Amino acid sequence: MAMAAVCWAVRAVRQVLPSPCPRQVRSYYVDWRMLRDVKRRKMAYEHADERLRINAIRKNSILPKELQEVADKEIAALPRDSCPVRIRNRCVLTSRPRGVKRRWRVSRIVFRHFADHAQMSGVQRAMW
Amino acid sequence: KDKSAASKDSTHEGAAKRQEDGAETPKQQLLDIIGTMKVEVSYRKKLQQLKASESKKQAMKKLEGLGSEGSVPQGITEDTQRGKPLNPELVKAASAVASSLPHNKKQTESELLAQLRRHEETTDKQKKGGTINIRNVISEMTVKRQSPAQRGARISGRISLQLDEDGQRIRPERLSARSMESRRCCEILNIGFLFFVYRSLKVGKRLNIFTKASTEPEHALKTVSSPTIWDLEFAKEVAAVTAQPPRNGFEEMIQWTKEGILWEFPIDNEVGMEDDAEFHEHIFLEKHLEGFPREGPIRHFMELVICGLSKNPYLSVKQKVEHIEWFQKYFEEKKELLQEI
Repeated sequence: MAMAAVCWAVRAVRQVLPSPCPRQVRSYYVDWRMLRDVKRRKMAYEHADERLRINAIRKNSILPKELQEVADKEIAALPRDSCPVRIRNRCVLTSRPRGVKRRWRVSRIVFRHFADHAQMSGVQRAMW
Repeated sequence: KDKSAASKDSTHEGAAKRQEDGAETPKQQLLDIIGTMKVEVSYRKKLQQLKASESKKQAMKKLEGLGSEGSVPQGITEDTQRGKPLNPELVKAASAVASSLPHNKKQTESELLAQLRRHEETTDKQKKGGTINIRNVISEMTVKRQSPAQRGARISGRISLQLDEDGQRIRPERLSARSMESRRCCEILNIGFLFFVYRSLKVGKRLNIFTKASTEPEHALKTVSSPTIWDLEFAKEVAAVTAQPPRNGFEEMIQWTKEGILWEFPIDNEVGMEDDAEFHEHIFLEKHLEGFPREGPIRHFMELVICGLSKNPYLSVKQKVEHIEWFQKYFEEKKELLQEI
C-alpha cells in the first residue's frame, strides 16, 4: 500500500517539495472504491489495539462469561470500518479487486504488462 | 673504505697513497664530465656530474687537509682526513660499539667512522646549500617537460574529439596513425614527466600553500541558540533556488533518499526503532501488575498477558506498559459487574 499511502499523504497535506523539477504527482485515487478501501485501512489501523485487547478478553476460558458478553457488545459497538476483515487487497494501479498478486500488489493484467516491458525486477517469462 | 683500511697500516704510506688517489680522482672526474658533456644532457647524467663535482671538491679539501696536517700525529689524521673533525664523543661511541661486536674491531671501527663522516658531509652540504643546484635543475627540468606532455595530451584530445564529432567523415586509418604517434609521444613524455614528478615530490622548495590545521578548539561558541523562523525560511528559499534538477539517475536517487522515498543502503533493520530499554525491562513485567487483585481469574489472565508480552520482540517497553494499563482501566470500569459475579 505504498502508493495508496503516498496518495493519501498528498491529499491530506500538500507538501511543497523543495526541488523545482516538476514531478508527476497523482492527486486522486483510481476510483471511489479504492478511496473507501483506504479509509477502512486507516480506521483498522487506529482501532487495531483496542480490537486486539477486547478480543483477548472474549476468546478466553479463564474470565467469567458475563465479562466476555460485555466485551462482545463493546466490540460490536466499534465502527464497522475498523475491522480488518473489510479490507480488500485491491490492485494498486487499477483498483481491481480480483486477480491481485500479494507480493506486487498489482492485478494480473498490470503485472503482465510490466513484466513484458522488463519493468519487474527479477521477473522473467517461464520456460522449461 | 679502502682508504680507511689502508690508513690503519701506516699513516705515511697511507698519506702518500691518499695524495696519489686525490690527484687521480679529480682527473678521472674531469674526464667523466667531459665525456658526459658530449652525450645528450639527461637528468641522470646531470646528477652524476653534480655528484662528481662535489666529490671533486671533497678531494680538493682532502688534499688541502693533508697538506696542512701532514705533520700531525697518526691518531688524529684518520679522523681529520676530510678537513672536518668528527665529534670526539661520536668517535668514542664508535669505538665502544666496535669493541662490543665480535668481529674485527679495528675494521668495524674504521667503517663506522667512515659512515659518520659521510653523514656529516651530507649535513654540511645541506647547511651550505649545495643540493639546491640539483633541486633547481629538477624543477627546471620539470617545467620544461610539462608543456610537450600537455601539448601531446591536447592534440590527442582534439583528435579524439574530431573523431567523435565527425566520425564517419574522416578516414579512421589516417587518424589512427596520427593518434597512435601522438599517443606514443604522449606516453613517452608522460613517463618522463612522471619520472620527474616522482623525483620532484621528494625534493623541492616548500610552497607553503597548506597550513597545519590548528588544534585549537573551534570558536563554535557562537550564541546561535535558536535559528529564527526567518532564518529557516531563508534557508529553504536558498535551497529551493539552488537545487538543480537531477542530471542523472544517481542524483535522482540521492534526492529520493533525502526526501525519504528511498531507504538508505545498506539497509538498517532498526531504522526508527530506538529502543534503549534493557532486556530485563521487556521480560520482567510483574511490577506493572500491582494494580490488580492478587488472586482470582483476572490475575491469572493478566499473568498470561504478561507472559505473552515478555515473548514479544516487536513491541517497545512503552507499548507493553500501555497494554497493561489499558487492561487495568478496563477492569476498573467493570468493577461493579465483577462484584455482582
